[in-house]
Amino acid sequence: MLFGIVYLAAFYMDYAPFRYYPDARTFHLTITPQDGPAILWYGWVAVAAVASAILAALVPRSLAERLRPGWAWVVPLGIMVLMMIYERRWFV
Amino acid sequence: MIVVLLIVHGLLAVTLLGAITHQALSVVASRAAVGPLSFVGRFRSVDSGAYANAIVVLFVITAIGGALLYPQYRLDVRTALEDLQLRSANGVFEIKEHLVAIGLGLLPTYWLFWRAPLGSEQATARRYLTWLLAFIVWWSFLVGHVLNNIKGLLP
Repeated sequence: MLFGIVYLAAFYMDYAPFRYYPDARTFHLTITPQDGPAILWYGWVAVAAVASAILAALVPRSLAERLRPGWAWVVPLGIMVLMMIYERRWFV
Repeated sequence: MIVVLLIVHGLLAVTLLGAITHQALSVVASRAAVGPLSFVGRFRSVDSGAYANAIVVLFVITAIGGALLYPQYRLDVRTALEDLQLRSANGVFEIKEHLVAIGLGLLPTYWLFWRAPLGSEQATARRYLTWLLAFIVWWSFLVGHVLNNIKGLLP
């Protein structure tokens, strides 16, 4: 659940801790336009994985167990719908 | 090398598609069948839980394959799509990469809900999680194949 939320936030805010430049075959921590087009996806996935793992470790087990099972699919579904709404920009 | 990786990625995707489709259809609620099972009935009557581990492993390996292919796509295919002004083709791929990421994040929860013994109070969540993952896999498979062959599909 947390992974998707962090991923969506990182993607929406265009935040990636690093970028890969396939033309130059290099990773950069900063925007480096002279190296050609950048791939941010690896950075979004990495930040979502690390942040969600830290958050999951911080949340007490008793609190996590109080969550109803329905949240497990409702939250990802909501994230998918929000993402689709945002990505409508490609089809107009 | 990239062609070999693309073919392996495609084959893994087919295997994943088969597994998730079996499982997704097996969790559809239905009335007890009377008489011999139909083709769909036999397709559905699988041990759903047995697929979970394979689906998790296949999803991760296929996603890693896609991630390794992504730089080549970004340089060759996406540039070609932009030159051809095929914005919607780029859009469906953007959605694919987001869906795969969301799917990766979904896997631990999916695996947890499919872990034996399967609790009946979690059946609904298990069913919808499986359907979400099935949607992600089908979208990714179809978009991947169409974009891979898009130059041949265009008039």
